[in-house]
Amino acid sequence: MKTRIEARVESGLRQARWALVALACAAAPAWAFDLHELMSLLAKQKQGEANFTEQRYVRGFDGPLAASGTLSFTAPDQLVRRTLSPRPETMAVDGNNLTLSRSGRSRSMTLDSMPELQGMVEAMRATLAGNTQVLQRYFTSTVGGSASDWTLDLAPIDARLASQVATLRLSGKAGEVLGVEMEFRGGDRSVMTISPKR
Amino acid sequence: MSVQHAGPSRGRRTLVLLLWLAAVLAGVAVISSTHFSADLSAFLPASPDARQRVLIEQLQSGVASRTLMVGLEGGKDAAQRADVSRALGKAMRASGLYEQVQNGDHSEWQEAGTFVFDRRYQLSPDVTPQRFSVDGLRDAVTDTMSMLGTPAGNLVRPLFERDPTGETQRIAEGLIPATSPRTEEGVWVSRTAPRAMLLATTKASGSDLDAQAAAVARIETEYAKATQGLGAEAPKLQLSGAPVFSVQSRDKIKGEAIHLAIVGAIVMGCLLLVAFASPKALVVALLPVLTGVVAGTAAVALVFGSVHGLTMGFGSTLIGETVDYAIYYLIQARGAAVPGTGWQRWRDLNWPTVRLGLLTSVCGFAALLFSGFPGLAQLGVFSIAGLVAAALVTRHGLPMLAPDGATGIGMRRHMARVASGIVQAMPRLRVGFVVLGVVAMALMAWQGGALWRASLSSMSPISKASQELDASLREDIGASDGGTLVVIQAADEQATLRITEAAGQRLDALVDEGQLSGYETVTRMLPSAAAQQARIASLPDAATLRARVAEATQGMPLAPDRLEPFVASVDAARNLAPITREELAQGPLAPVVRALMFERPGGGWASLIALHTTDRFDKAKLVAALAPLPEVQVVDIGAELGSLYDRYLHEAFVQVLLGALAVVVLLGLYLRSLRRLVAVCQPLLLAVVLTLGGMAALQVPLGILHLVGLLLIVAVGSNYALFFDQLQETGRADEDTLASLMLANLTTVVSFGLIAISDIPALSAIGRVVAPGALLALLLSAAFAKRRVR
Repeated sequence: MKTRIEARVESGLRQARWALVALACAAAPAWAFDLHELMSLLAKQKQGEANFTEQRYVRGFDGPLAASGTLSFTAPDQLVRRTLSPRPETMAVDGNNLTLSRSGRSRSMTLDSMPELQGMVEAMRATLAGNTQVLQRYFTSTVGGSASDWTLDLAPIDARLASQVATLRLSGKAGEVLGVEMEFRGGDRSVMTISPKR
Repeated sequence: MSVQHAGPSRGRRTLVLLLWLAAVLAGVAVISSTHFSADLSAFLPASPDARQRVLIEQLQSGVASRTLMVGLEGGKDAAQRADVSRALGKAMRASGLYEQVQNGDHSEWQEAGTFVFDRRYQLSPDVTPQRFSVDGLRDAVTDTMSMLGTPAGNLVRPLFERDPTGETQRIAEGLIPATSPRTEEGVWVSRTAPRAMLLATTKASGSDLDAQAAAVARIETEYAKATQGLGAEAPKLQLSGAPVFSVQSRDKIKGEAIHLAIVGAIVMGCLLLVAFASPKALVVALLPVLTGVVAGTAAVALVFGSVHGLTMGFGSTLIGETVDYAIYYLIQARGAAVPGTGWQRWRDLNWPTVRLGLLTSVCGFAALLFSGFPGLAQLGVFSIAGLVAAALVTRHGLPMLAPDGATGIGMRRHMARVASGIVQAMPRLRVGFVVLGVVAMALMAWQGGALWRASLSSMSPISKASQELDASLREDIGASDGGTLVVIQAADEQATLRITEAAGQRLDALVDEGQLSGYETVTRMLPSAAAQQARIASLPDAATLRARVAEATQGMPLAPDRLEPFVASVDAARNLAPITREELAQGPLAPVVRALMFERPGGGWASLIALHTTDRFDKAKLVAALAPLPEVQVVDIGAELGSLYDRYLHEAFVQVLLGALAVVVLLGLYLRSLRRLVAVCQPLLLAVVLTLGGMAALQVPLGILHLVGLLLIVAVGSNYALFFDQLQETGRADEDTLASLMLANLTTVVSFGLIAISDIPALSAIGRVVAPGALLALLLSAAFAKRRVR
């Protein structure tokens, strides 16, 4: 017959073992990192500011065209891309309204009147907001990598958008988007590098 | 008296009847060649100020009057709706009935895009000498390059070598509307309902209702074809817009006029049959009515050139009054001592009273002639001519046909008994009526100006459901509902264009401030000749441009000779003929130009700038920004129509008061006694007060037409008051006179009662005032008559 103390130790050990198992499970590599997990990571980030640089490779030009500026996002649906170089230019999306400001002039448009443009906006906005539903309305998606270093490949569903944009690849770490690569039909390509402000 | 005096002589009789017949035939001939209109513009004023005149021209024949909105709602799914929309759009374009059919299918813009691209150096506002300097070129090319390799750059890329300064882009910026409908499956759809949308403008003018009806019907046919085989799954067709409303209201007015005439004739016929029990009397009684309608219609046709359907609707109001003349005659000419002399006795004894009643009615209706509403003026002419003709027929024609009045006795004895009972009983209620009058006055004083709160739109026969559908479709299309318009008027085309450009520059500042999201102006497609010349003059020759391009692109990843197509395009543009309105009228942009610029009916030209406002819009700032340009006016359509109506209401008050005053003066001249005048006016005034009080108690919003109705109470009611006055003077209150009064009143109340239940607000407003008012006028005349009446 075991003493009372032995019994207590045994039960303590049993509890510790369970705790270890639980810990081991939690620390296991994300062997099944999927869109849902990525989107829930992204959804935690309610708001963000970043600098960006962009290299565009356009056929017929001798070198890449460079641009840089800032990006800002406020959940759920405000996105501003402010280009500072080579030309000051702002594209601001707020809900269904798109405002373009360049050369001292502003123009407002409704996003849903131009489905192609809306698709492009949602590639960025829905990703930043972690809105799976909206993203899947415009793109078929493939997630690669792990939570700490992921890629999200998007292929347009809409025929008209697909006739202009071949693929989009977003990449990042955890809840932050750090790069956007676009491949246009006809061979042009753009690579955007994003560095969040902290 | 000898037999030859018994009736009118045979010769005279033939002459009168022939003259009468000839006049009626002439009237019918005039009517048969007359155009009948039904547009609502008859209820828009004829002589407004300059700003309102443009607005009314627009409402009558501007693009808004030609715009149709089509919805395809429900059905299987968005893809099916899109297919139907495309098929319908294609068929409508092919029909040739529409100037423009838009459904979001961008293929229709290709031709326009080519035009804009070819003429970019004449159209782009950025084309200045500075733009083509080395610095200007470097800036512009860098700008355009910043778009390349971005999603937005896809449109720019194919044009880059020919248009590196982005002029096409600049023009397109202005032409693409800020508020477009949502696009799904490649066509316009609603943001709030499962519905595809189309927008069309007809070629035919908004006032050509037959053509508008054809354009509307065509959509229905093409829709039926496009949805053939879809069965119950087909999306439903919804149609709205000014042409639909005009066609609907014309049909409604036409239907209502016929309906009222038939029902009125039946009811009146029954009443007369009951009263006279003689078919001959019935026919004779209707003759003045028919002659009156013919005379009234012909007079309107001669004076106005066309007859409005609504005027015809009022034909039934005329029945109510003209039939009274016949009733008075047929009953009062009876009982002559010598057969055949009844008409003479009536002529001497009763005709003066009928004539006075006629004159007071004419005074009342004359007020309408000066009302400024063409529709009401028509009504005035119609009524005056109709009444005069009916009275003449009664005076000269009826004696030829029925020298001794009606023969049968019918139910008149009973009527007389009832009438006599009323006459006996009413005076006892005198105090009660006065108390009621005081209460009514108090009620009216308490409600004050709020009593007259009906608006112009309350006269519209368009149903509430149709108005709601219209608002919903309009919202989806993003069609500016024309809240605020900028109007430019000048003597000739070029001056108009130059001033429009100047106004546009001032509006640009408001766009930058965020007060406007954009505006539509004709000068984006058709710049003034001066602006085009200045742009062309800023273009350097090929050699100069080539050298500047080389310098400007230094340090860019761009070989200058890649822009050789640009140099060639600019060189070619230097020799282009200026864009003219005539040229545009042949091309794809014709509808837009026609909508925004037009020759004024009175001479001179006008252009419109349609504004797309944001929630930050401040009208005062807009007015201030455009104030330095005297030819430019800001028209706030809602406010303008409101003030137009208020002005009319005010004018109508004055006219109605003048009309009433004229009636009183006329009565005074005839009666030559203040006591009798007061006795006659008392019941009329009280009838008006009680009617108004009743309206106030029932919370009916009153408008111009109610006001007109009040005048009619005075005009019609004065007949009753005069008869009671005559009864007192002569002391004769025989059965027949009482019966005739009773019958005349009954027909009036019935005919206005029929109008009161009409679906057309303009008609029912008058009916609802006059029917109770006329009854009150009779009862009150009896109540306030002196006891001498037995």
